[in-house]
Amino acid sequence: MADALDGDGVRAWVADFVAAFGAARVALDELDRRSGDGDFGTNLLPAVERAGRELAAAPAASVSELFTMLSTAFMHAGGTSGPLFGVWFREFARAAAGPGGLDREALAAAAVNGLAAVQRLGQAGVGHKTMVDAMSPATDALASAAGQSRGLRDDLVDAAVAAREGADATAGLIARRGRASYVGELSRGVPDPGAEAVAMFFEAASRSLAARSAAG
Amino acid sequence: MAARRQFLNDPETLVAQALEGFERSNSDIVRWNREPSFVVRADDDQRPRVAIVSGGGSGHEPLHTGFVGRGMLDAAVPGGIFASPSMIQVKAATDAVDRGLGVVHVVKNYTGDVINFGLARDLAIDEGLAVETVIVDDDLATDGSGDGPGRRGTAAVIAVEKICGAAAEAGADLARVVALGQQVAAGSRSLAIALTACTHPGAPGPSFELAEGEIEFGVGIHGERGIDRRAFAPARELAEMLVWPVAAALALERGERVIAIVNGLGSTHPLELSLMFTEAADLLDGSGVEVARSLVGSYVTSLDMAGCSITLVRATHELIELWDAPVCTPGLRW
Repeated sequence: MADALDGDGVRAWVADFVAAFGAARVALDELDRRSGDGDFGTNLLPAVERAGRELAAAPAASVSELFTMLSTAFMHAGGTSGPLFGVWFREFARAAAGPGGLDREALAAAAVNGLAAVQRLGQAGVGHKTMVDAMSPATDALASAAGQSRGLRDDLVDAAVAAREGADATAGLIARRGRASYVGELSRGVPDPGAEAVAMFFEAASRSLAARSAAG
Repeated sequence: MAARRQFLNDPETLVAQALEGFERSNSDIVRWNREPSFVVRADDDQRPRVAIVSGGGSGHEPLHTGFVGRGMLDAAVPGGIFASPSMIQVKAATDAVDRGLGVVHVVKNYTGDVINFGLARDLAIDEGLAVETVIVDDDLATDGSGDGPGRRGTAAVIAVEKICGAAAEAGADLARVVALGQQVAAGSRSLAIALTACTHPGAPGPSFELAEGEIEFGVGIHGERGIDRRAFAPARELAEMLVWPVAAALALERGERVIAIVNGLGSTHPLELSLMFTEAADLLDGSGVEVARSLVGSYVTSLDMAGCSITLVRATHELIELWDAPVCTPGLRW
């Protein structure tokens, strides 16, 4: 069997993310309130829930179609993070449209192209205290893992660990982009909610794949 | 500090329910398209002209929806509270008002607005429309750091929307409307102070706390902290704190003319705003700068924040004529 994510795998991944995001909504708002304007979780939750509903209702959709639905749901969210997640997921959809589906190489390519799209649109670099600070280490982990003889699940576990470390490390940074950049030094000590959401997304992948392999 | 009590059913439905009331109470001027959400003119004569579209987060009312109407905006696109509208909303509004002569997006300089308006513009251009963007970035408190998102857009957006709208109404072409918008934006600076923070709908408390004798200097319009805590003082001293840095940033010289906007941030009484205008006008008179036109009131608000901003717009004869041109919107008419 090819080591690639199938539709059920993506649906389980996104369902886990929807549940985790919903549970963290108030905490994400609070992170945002301490350095921005306090609406990060509230603004994105409708997009996350919309994505969860639409994916669950599309049992026949391909992996690429599922990521396109995810992308479109976030494009509808507005705000800053909505369209940035939208262009990020669009690259997963593009990568998964290839002949091998979302295999290890495609996943690494999706992460690399997704990061580039987010950086181009948001004009953010590593260390600016944004979602890029979790996306970038996760991308590095996927890119270097893809060359090793392991499996997709291990790659995503590595990505989740790297994204989590990146997100946690944003607490020590001063924001250079986004609403938090207006408060300067006051943003130090608070992790960036965008980076936190990226870490949650990869952790959902790692968790849902573990659950599936335990069950199967 | 206890949060100010608010009229509220549910934070989730606040914006939509408010837009419904806004449409019903101004049905002769505006129409609200529900899905995707944007506001257009009700009495549109469909005359060929350049169309002006603006928008941004809600919570700044009457901005932007209150400025839809003859002589100002063709469409306003409201997002959630303090959150940019989606590119899908912006694209739909752009399509709805385009008359083949081009569309100008007036965008306050915030990452989310710049991204969503930019994605909508790119898509519209792919489909053959002519769309140009005027970025408004007047807030002096966020000046200075080279490597950042740049100055925020605040109350100068009123002047940009008024002057672009008047020029479009008078038949100016796309390039001319954009050039005028850029001229106004480049010649405008603002600075604001808060006396109390705002409270998000349904939030348990204000977005920050101020001690008895403190004010927050250099606030934006999203409830975030400013750049400095300063001592509370009589109105004249607070006006000086705002007027002098703005005049200096514009390098205003004796004999120059300005449009002065004293803008309330949501909970400041008209009497207080008029007092602040008196002080600001006295200071400008004393330095030989002529206040050619003025606007005093709460136009670009930050929910229920108490405080005010002062905006100065370098004015020319042409800009003043466009400022004086008739306007008929829910929020501004003369």
